Amino acid sequence: MSGLLARVRRLPSWQITLTAALLVLGFLIAAQLSAEGPRIRYTSQERAPLVETVIGLQDQQNALKDRIRQLRAQIGDLEAQLPGSAALEKTLAADIERARIAGGLVQLTGPGIAFRLEDADVAGNASRSDGLVTARDVRTLVEELWLAGAEAVSVNGERMVTTSAILDIGNSILVNNAYLAPPYEIKAIGPADLYDRLTGAASFTEFVGTRIDPAGLRLTFAELDAVTVPAFAGSVSGRYIRPTVTTGTQP
Amino acid sequence: MSRMRNRLTITAVAILLGFLVVAQLRGVGVNTGLAQQSAQDLTLLVANLNTENEQLRAEISGLDKQFSDLSASRSRGEGAAGQLRADLDRIQGWAGLRSVDGPGVLIQISGAISGDGVQDLLNELRNAGAEAIAVEAVRMVPGTVVAGPPDGLSVENTPLGGSFEVRAIGSPQILTGSLTRAGGIIAQLSVTFHDATISVTPLDAVSIPATARDLAPVHGRPSL
Repeated sequence: MSGLLARVRRLPSWQITLTAALLVLGFLIAAQLSAEGPRIRYTSQERAPLVETVIGLQDQQNALKDRIRQLRAQIGDLEAQLPGSAALEKTLAADIERARIAGGLVQLTGPGIAFRLEDADVAGNASRSDGLVTARDVRTLVEELWLAGAEAVSVNGERMVTTSAILDIGNSILVNNAYLAPPYEIKAIGPADLYDRLTGAASFTEFVGTRIDPAGLRLTFAELDAVTVPAFAGSVSGRYIRPTVTTGTQP
Repeated sequence: MSRMRNRLTITAVAILLGFLVVAQLRGVGVNTGLAQQSAQDLTLLVANLNTENEQLRAEISGLDKQFSDLSASRSRGEGAAGQLRADLDRIQGWAGLRSVDGPGVLIQISGAISGDGVQDLLNELRNAGAEAIAVEAVRMVPGTVVAGPPDGLSVENTPLGGSFEVRAIGSPQILTGSLTRAGGIIAQLSVTFHDATISVTPLDAVSIPATARDLAPVHGRPSL
């Protein structure tokens, strides 16, 4: 041992420096290669500006949605405090608040489940195209949650509402026209036995047996006493729909 | 001479090391999902985000006006029943709590098709801008799913049978074009479900009923 130490001490300092540098170099190359899964390749020069544009537009979208949530909250407060013929306006304001809650325009908290859906492990099936989570996978999980009795669902913070679509773009997905990067977190509020209902459904068992397991997708979950599903912050102003009646609606 | 060569070697390794460190750090910074997208997909993404952001700006503009009008009513000590009713109509119509009319499409489906296939079609309608959708007399709202095998489709516990209709309100041209384009959803479904026939008819007037489902949450509570 002392002989080895003596030999090391006799080495020129530049050789030690070079050895250390080469070790770090080797580590970095290995890290870069191992990180290069199917979802990650170097961005080519022509794509780099497009990636920057997407990130900029998504940041703008997040800011616009924050503003919409803020304005809706302020309008809700104003509507509740309006003077005038109190009975009629209070009734209308209460109806509006109920419609907002029913439509998904208000954040909800309650018991439920949080799922995480991820691509197959890099060392496993991720090299195969079916080892990547698709919009269809997310859609199926959301639909199974609805069928099991969920009353509010979100995907990476995007509330699922009456106009929500889940789309593939390349190997990523769009929900409510917001770009979502994996992993996908699907949160659902529902009855205490939501998980039992879900896993007891033949269609969910089939989904896991024919898609999740064979492809090596990673589906994990946690049953929680308090799951928060955010409010929808998109547009509710239809260009084409017109209400046909003014009475007989659901409270 | 030898010392110079050593220094040059160390310098070269240091430069390479620095390059790799920077590349690694940039790679971590860039959204890993975006970094692997093709230029075509990124362009599509930019278009989608631009369209959505324009709609959000229009929504903000409408909300700003609504806020100003309500503020003015409040400062004048006046009521605002008309504004409140308009707001209620708008939200209830969008949420599915009220029956609605408008231009759109009628889709007639017959033959064997699975619940997943119908859900894919509905997803494409929403993507194309459908503002309200009904399958037969059932308004599609959160929680409503068309499910079952090809010979046993149902929605809200109502069997659909071998032939049924889907109606959607939105731009008739955009909805029709999106569904029927080459390689679009109907073409894809025709490959999977050979026996199914799907036709799309643009209409000037489509009526869609309110949901019969109670959308008031029972387990969740509003939270800030």
